[in-house]
Amino acid sequence: MKKILAIAALLLGFVSAYAQNGKSIYMKYSDAENVSAVYVSPAMFRLIGKIPEIQANNGEVDLTPVIRGLSGLYIINSENLGINDSLYKDVSRFIDSGKYEMLMEVKDNGEIMHMYTCGDEKVVTSFVMLAKDGDELTFICLDGKLDRAQLEDLMASQMQ
Amino acid sequence: MKRIEDIEKLSLEELERSAEGVTVPEGLRPRLEAALAAAEAQSRKDEERAGKRWIPYASLAAAAALVAAIVIPAARQPKDSFDDPLLAYAKVEETFRYISDKMSEGVNQVREARPAAEMPGKTIKKINSK
Repeated sequence: MKKILAIAALLLGFVSAYAQNGKSIYMKYSDAENVSAVYVSPAMFRLIGKIPEIQANNGEVDLTPVIRGLSGLYIINSENLGINDSLYKDVSRFIDSGKYEMLMEVKDNGEIMHMYTCGDEKVVTSFVMLAKDGDELTFICLDGKLDRAQLEDLMASQMQ
Repeated sequence: MKRIEDIEKLSLEELERSAEGVTVPEGLRPRLEAALAAAEAQSRKDEERAGKRWIPYASLAAAAALVAAIVIPAARQPKDSFDDPLLAYAKVEETFRYISDKMSEGVNQVREARPAAEMPGKTIKKINSK
């Protein structure tokens, strides 16, 4: 009996560990009502990197070096009050269970935005943004191997 | 000495007759009663255990169902939202811009807060210089 209960507990532990990642969150919420979802696959990122017009970007910020390192983009934009709480909790659990560190937190007129990165000093393996603005909740997850300095330069140039 | 088959063939009256004069060992009755009570308690315990036996199996089944419900959808591969890499690129660019806008809000807040944050340092410097 104890063995069976231990197996059941192990299975539940496995579920809690397995359930938390960008893909599983995307799969869970992407088909819900009042939710717009975007997924860009690693294959599509490879294709983007090969397009010559983009590589020779005229004057604008060239994203291709960053894009080459990406292996997945998941976006969930929800205006569904029925799932927002659950989505927020799932993302928070995903952040807590991973090796994410907070990059930035902004609170402005009731809007809350959190940014997290995972990786080391040189490489970012995952970037997560969670923004809550009234009834709208946005979850963005970028997976891949991104040069931290390159990503920071890119963000800084876009901010100007 | 009588064999078991012979004893089984005896009628009740014959058995009673043969039992006459046999002395019952001392303390047999309480011992028998205690043994019967223990057997009854054991059978009750077994029944209770049999009643609860389904609980671990049900927990295992529930856990397995939960694993299936979570792992199977997550194991599926999401479908690409774009067929055209140019459209995908435009979306990625828009996403980076959105992230940068949000970052700018944070940076602006830091800029606005900077004078207030620098005030204590300036005050301490003034005091020290006097």
